[in-house]
Amino acid sequence: MKIELEGLTKRIPGTGEFISINSLKCNNCDRCLFVCVMNLWRKKEGKIYLAEDYQSKCLECAACFQVCDAGAIMFKYPAGGTGIVIEKG
Amino acid sequence: MNTYDLIIVGAGPGGSVAAKIAAEKGLKTVFFERGRKPGEKNSSGCGLGPRMFRDFPEMMKKLTPEKCHSMRAGVAARNYFVNKDDIVAGYIMARPTESVSYEPAKSWITMNVYRSEFDPWIAEFATDAGAELKTSTLIIDLLKENGKVSGVIDDKGEKYKAPIVIGADGAVSTVAQKSGLRSKWSQNQVTLTLQYDFQAPSEKIDDIMGDETLAVWWGSNFPASYQVFFNDGFHQGLGNWMTWWDKTPLFYLNRVVNLKYYQRLLKILDAKPRELQAHLLPWLDYPYNTYTDGIILIGDAGGFPCPLEAEGIYPAMVTGKIAAEVAAEAVSSGDFSKESLKKFDEGWKKTSIGEEFEAGAELWNIWKALPFSPKETMSWFVPMIMEILGGIFDWSQPHGKRVRQIISHVKSYMPKATPFIMKNVFPLVAKIFEDDLDKIMDPKKIMKVLPKLLDMLPQKKKRRGSQEK
Ligand SMILES: Cc1cc2nc3c(=O)[nH]c(=O)nc-3n(C[C@H](O)[C@H](O)[C@H](O)COP(=O)(O)OP(=O)(O)OC[C@H]3O[C@@H](n4cnc5c(N)ncnc54)[C@H](O)[C@@H]3O)c2cc1C
Ligand code: SF4
Ligand code: SF4
Repeated sequence: MKIELEGLTKRIPGTGEFISINSLKCNNCDRCLFVCVMNLWRKKEGKIYLAEDYQSKCLECAACFQVCDAGAIMFKYPAGGTGIVIEKG
Repeated sequence: MNTYDLIIVGAGPGGSVAAKIAAEKGLKTVFFERGRKPGEKNSSGCGLGPRMFRDFPEMMKKLTPEKCHSMRAGVAARNYFVNKDDIVAGYIMARPTESVSYEPAKSWITMNVYRSEFDPWIAEFATDAGAELKTSTLIIDLLKENGKVSGVIDDKGEKYKAPIVIGADGAVSTVAQKSGLRSKWSQNQVTLTLQYDFQAPSEKIDDIMGDETLAVWWGSNFPASYQVFFNDGFHQGLGNWMTWWDKTPLFYLNRVVNLKYYQRLLKILDAKPRELQAHLLPWLDYPYNTYTDGIILIGDAGGFPCPLEAEGIYPAMVTGKIAAEVAAEAVSSGDFSKESLKKFDEGWKKTSIGEEFEAGAELWNIWKALPFSPKETMSWFVPMIMEILGGIFDWSQPHGKRVRQIISHVKSYMPKATPFIMKNVFPLVAKIFEDDLDKIMDPKKIMKVLPKLLDMLPQKKKRRGSQEK
């Protein structure tokens, strides 16, 4: 059984940017690639980047920020009152 | 003017209890929530433990299905043992046992309720007591005056002043970061936990699960996965420390959901996926750096979930209560220094949370070594347990022969089980019984006793009948 993730999370738009990467600090340890439930961290030609549409897919778990020992990933929560809405958490 | 005696960042169970108690003590209190209402950013299987009902009786007796529709009592727990071929090799259903001493806990294990209902419910006690709740408000930094904490600032630039701030802002605590108490957790101090919520008709759950409304799937290919039933749905989730993941967490959760046994359960429960959530959950062997000048960290922000199984709501409430009491004292004495706030640490150490952490390292270790080490440990633990529990259900041999087969097979696990027990079980036993670890752990003694114990088990079949080989 493949569970379709589309539509499983409600969102209020207007989050603004809340995650970013400082490539200069990245040491290519790849940990962020493993921990993101939504698979929003990718690697292309040896460079780590965040999916462009992360604002509409991210679960706001901050695992990417937490796992990055190099301190390359910046995370703050979306603007107050925006972002994911967990109804059955 | 936005001036208060006390600011609390976060309106989870910890923040709300702190706000309630502070307001009752007469402090002008404000608490902030980044969601539009408390609970909409939180996920947690939300099994509320009996200790909450014992220690917060006035509040908890008001928790009713009328207030929280999703409520369902967890009376019995199922434990599925899943082997390395992803087959459910057996299961144990457990109800509260005869030695349970707290009367209400004899009839239920947890109350399960969605956070979207529980958090607003508990926040209302605080607002009823006079605390001010500001929702849709993300706190982004601390204010400082002459090097001292003087308040907070939100993402719209609004400032709020108070001489003391309680960080009740969960696993990714802005207050912890900005106060310098912690920039982030070490990778083995925090877990990533994700879960599906499935929708299922209430009557189906009643009919199929009865009062067995909790389950743990002890897997050999995935970290132990919990299942928690609510009125009209259930969670299936799992987590592990940040150090553990070698594939995406969803891969492991889907592995549970795709068990044949699980698929059958989904089918008969008429269950459909409804939500996906992921959240960090601090899981430490001991909390540290929980206070400094003008700052106290409670609940998840302070690292207080239980070291064995990360029950976190009750610890958040207990530490919230103590923080509010310490803050009230500080307000009346005007002393917000680190020295004065150390009463917070002294306080929680005297509670049942403190007692839990006395064996924190040992409890933490055993959880890490067993359910959260599926491939290394559960892969042999499951067949071993099932041999003991289920081996006798074989009718192809005389029973005596079966017993010998089972014992000799269980013995074959000893090279793995013995070091495991020495490393993880003995230290825990020693700590709990305050016994001298060296006495119990003396390898010479163990190596002397263990083979003897094993020798007491029959090595060879006894000659009973001529045809038996
Ligand atoms: C999947 C999962 C399952 C769990 N299952 C259980 C269980 O069955 N039983 C149990 O007892 N515990 C369980 N826990 C643990 C439990 O959820 C937490 O320990 C508990 O919620 C901690 O309470 P808290 O008040 O400290 O923090 P939280 O509940 O995390 O509350 C913090 C609040 O602060 C808000 N916030 C955060 N940052 C800011 C900011 N900068 N500005 C404004 N607001 C902010 C958040 O939106 C949130 O509402 C589980 C945890 C997870 C992740
Ligand atoms: S975790 Fe940090 S350092 Fe490692 S690859 Fe990702 S961004 Fe780079
Ligand atoms: S916060 Fe969580 S879901 Fe969002 S990008 Fe980071 S790891 Fe992925």
